[in-house]
Amino acid sequence: MIYIIDHKDSFTQNVVHQFSNFDNVECDNFDKINQKKLERSNVIVFSPGPGSPKDYPISSRIYKKYKGKKKIVGICLGFQQILYNEKGKIIEQKKIYHGYQSKVKVTSNHSLFKKNKIFKVGRYHSLKLKEPFDSKNFKITMRCDISNIAMAIENNKDKIYGFQFHPESFLTENGNILIKKILST
Amino acid sequence: MIKQNYLININKTKKPFIIYKSEKGFDLYTNFSKKIILTNKNIKNFINKTTKFNRKKKDTNLFIGFFGYEILNNLIGIKLPKQKGLKFPKGIFYKPEKKIKLANKLNYITSQKKLDTSNFKININKKSYKKIFNKFKKKIKLGETYQIKICTKYNNKSKIDPLDFFCRLSKSNLAPEAFLIKDKNFSIISCSPENLITKKGNFISTKPIAGTLKKTKNINKKKALNFFKKNIKETKEHNMIVDMERSDLSRICIPGTVKIIKKKIIEEYKDLFHYVSLVGGKLKKKTKTLDIIKAMMPGGSVIGCPKISTLNLLNSQERENRNIYTGSFGYIKFNGDMRFNIIIRAILNYKNYSEISVASGVVIDSNPKHEFNENYIKAKALMDLYK
Repeated sequence: MIYIIDHKDSFTQNVVHQFSNFDNVECDNFDKINQKKLERSNVIVFSPGPGSPKDYPISSRIYKKYKGKKKIVGICLGFQQILYNEKGKIIEQKKIYHGYQSKVKVTSNHSLFKKNKIFKVGRYHSLKLKEPFDSKNFKITMRCDISNIAMAIENNKDKIYGFQFHPESFLTENGNILIKKILST
Repeated sequence: MIKQNYLININKTKKPFIIYKSEKGFDLYTNFSKKIILTNKNIKNFINKTTKFNRKKKDTNLFIGFFGYEILNNLIGIKLPKQKGLKFPKGIFYKPEKKIKLANKLNYITSQKKLDTSNFKININKKSYKKIFNKFKKKIKLGETYQIKICTKYNNKSKIDPLDFFCRLSKSNLAPEAFLIKDKNFSIISCSPENLITKKGNFISTKPIAGTLKKTKNINKKKALNFFKKNIKETKEHNMIVDMERSDLSRICIPGTVKIIKKKIIEEYKDLFHYVSLVGGKLKKKTKTLDIIKAMMPGGSVIGCPKISTLNLLNSQERENRNIYTGSFGYIKFNGDMRFNIIIRAILNYKNYSEISVASGVVIDSNPKHEFNENYIKAKALMDLYK
């Protein structure tokens, strides 16, 4: 079962539907976590949401507790949530991307996805990862083709995956394939 | 001709009535056997009961009326601070016993000789608008909201003939979700273009509008589409609304059934072009009317995104009650089918006091002067009726 932690976002139900293609999904607000469901799940997903990772200490605690024990996926704010707990700095960016479709490129050899592949994705983010970012077992695997901003991370040892863009957006090409791949690995 | 007289007569009798735009013309509802004034206490009970009456197919087996902005917030657990305002009911529904079909051309000449009206006043001046605007822009930079709509209000004292207003408005702008409510001490006149919920059987759809262009001689439908496609700001706003409406529908629909049926098309009206999408899905079994209303209202396209945090930001800033504005008007049939719009481009006249609310969006690249003026243009179309 996949447990999606909702940061009261207006895109979370799209994430629920997308993940429902592959397994049973349960979803609760971050301030109404059901401990039993959390324990029972084999994948935890941190949803998109407003604000910044430091606003969600409950989600941070869950991340730390289950890191390495369950597969973890983060989308947008959820992506930043993972990085924030791996000592990454999340900062404001000059250009803000809300409802923006842009090209993303797979930049790493250590990715589940084919290097140099370019595809279009939907973005809704005010904040970004400050680089350089270096954390054990984590690789930045995708970047914005124009601005070079980090767009995906993978930690294949602990099975942790994050996307700064929104795989569930109608603006993202082949979003289902991305999710299928990280769920089946 | 009989129907035309009917309008004049019903207006004379002072009987409450409602007119709602239909596909081919207008429907007029009257002879109300019940009137329910909504409160936080009775709203859930009211909504749950609407589908528990007899299901005989009769075209008056429905409740028609509106939900105000505040009660829709309360319904999804959002409280509003104390606000100033008219103390107008939070929502009212009627059970009609009579329905009459009217043609698109509403011929009615008012008997009111002279309009008794004072000048309109605005509740937020340019300077304070700019202040709020910049505050919200900061919130966007911090990621607390992606888009937010600031509401400004124009009001005056006026004794009006609402039917006259509605007929004149429909002549200049035959909006697909237009409606009029005329009751004893209030009236609502609206040329809303936006459908929020159409539910028939287990199919539900919503039709968000993001992007409006005034018609001129030089612009046709194709050119309008090009304008929106090239305009990055409009495109981004529209994308955001489409993803948000997909998500709202996904809350109540079977996974895999939510589809964008029409993606970013142009709809042409008498005076303007709208940039529109149609999103629909198949409802989960046992979805209740209340679940649908809570998932879809208040309509996202007039609030901003993400809905909850944006509503909280808005409510902390707005000193005056929105009343009907960005609430929803429509009907719930006894068989559970429903149709609701988003109440915008509307006049509320209550105890001879009129208010017109307008809003436009703040996104990261919008400009306060432009948005303030945009608001004025939207309000002006309605204020012109008072001339």
